[in-house]
Amino acid sequence: MSSAANLKRWPGWVLLFLVVACFLAYGTAKDAGPLTPEQRVEEITKHIACPVCDGETVYESANPASAAIRAEVKAQVAAGLRSDDEIVAYVVQQFGEQTQLLPKASGFDALVWMLPAAALVCAGVGLFFAFRRWKRNADAIPDDDDRAMVEKALAAEVNLDGS
Amino acid sequence: MSDTEVPVAPVEPARRRVAPFVVLAVVVVLAAFFVVLATSSSGPKDKVGIVDSPLLGRVAPTVRSTTLDGVPFDLARRKGSWVVINFFNSTCGPCRAEHPELVKFSEQQQGFGDSGAELYTMLQINNDIDAVNKFFSDNGGDWPIVRDDDGTTNVAFGVALVPETFIVNPDGVVVLRWAGEIDSDMLSRLVQQQRDIYEAT
Repeated sequence: MSSAANLKRWPGWVLLFLVVACFLAYGTAKDAGPLTPEQRVEEITKHIACPVCDGETVYESANPASAAIRAEVKAQVAAGLRSDDEIVAYVVQQFGEQTQLLPKASGFDALVWMLPAAALVCAGVGLFFAFRRWKRNADAIPDDDDRAMVEKALAAEVNLDGS
Repeated sequence: MSDTEVPVAPVEPARRRVAPFVVLAVVVVLAAFFVVLATSSSGPKDKVGIVDSPLLGRVAPTVRSTTLDGVPFDLARRKGSWVVINFFNSTCGPCRAEHPELVKFSEQQQGFGDSGAELYTMLQINNDIDAVNKFFSDNGGDWPIVRDDDGTTNVAFGVALVPETFIVNPDGVVVLRWAGEIDSDMLSRLVQQQRDIYEAT
């Protein structure tokens, strides 16, 4: 590929990258405004796993234990003494780690967050080197045009020597 | 070699050196996940018997409620007595199966007079009160039944599955948690063990 073609293509990719980065930055930094107590209870209970049923959150479970946790979360939100994270931590402390739906970002649990990111970076670096190697190898294999060019040059050299 | 022979791209030795390490790393990570998953508990469902609790060795959570008879109940005011709290739901099969043992236990403790342990039933949230009353009148049991209409006590004790039984010593400290059904002899023995430990200290 010529350098002119390269120059022609990169602004599109850069533009796409910038647009995606802007959307991501806006999406993550966006303040959705204060939540109502009901919304807080919903958010919190969606982050707690039902302690006795498989694959259900406290928000959706009909189990008495989940009903008790929902009522407790509602009471704690109404009291306004604890943050959302503190309320989740309280429930997890009482019922055990299996009720923690989102893994913690510290200790051994942090591996759950770090490993995929590390795998993504490694995969990206690996792909970069793989593409570069493939490109180099591809460039090293002469095609018919290359052979024709070499034959022509050789013939010209023979003619030159012969003259 | 003819002039037109296609040169073979050289195989890079570095590639062969790195690949086994990548495979090894992937295998190690997968094996680690397998071991973690295989050895982790699936939650309270698989626990029967004496189980751990963050409450052990700590003053019992505040429990202020009323009994089904309308009498105010405050756990803190039971200090000075051995207290056994049995978490119950009238729709739970193991709770119903366990009940005759609790009747026996209650009779045993009443035989000790004032020094006997006090037994309380703690209901789960949303338990139909009429069904509870009917169950107790059909199956016996004259100890207080405490309501937990807002679920606070069940959450404070971390009770997810009933039946569960807690022993609270005369200082108001939680000393034992039992998950699942328990029989009267085992419960009496555990209370006595805790008494011995308490008196020895």
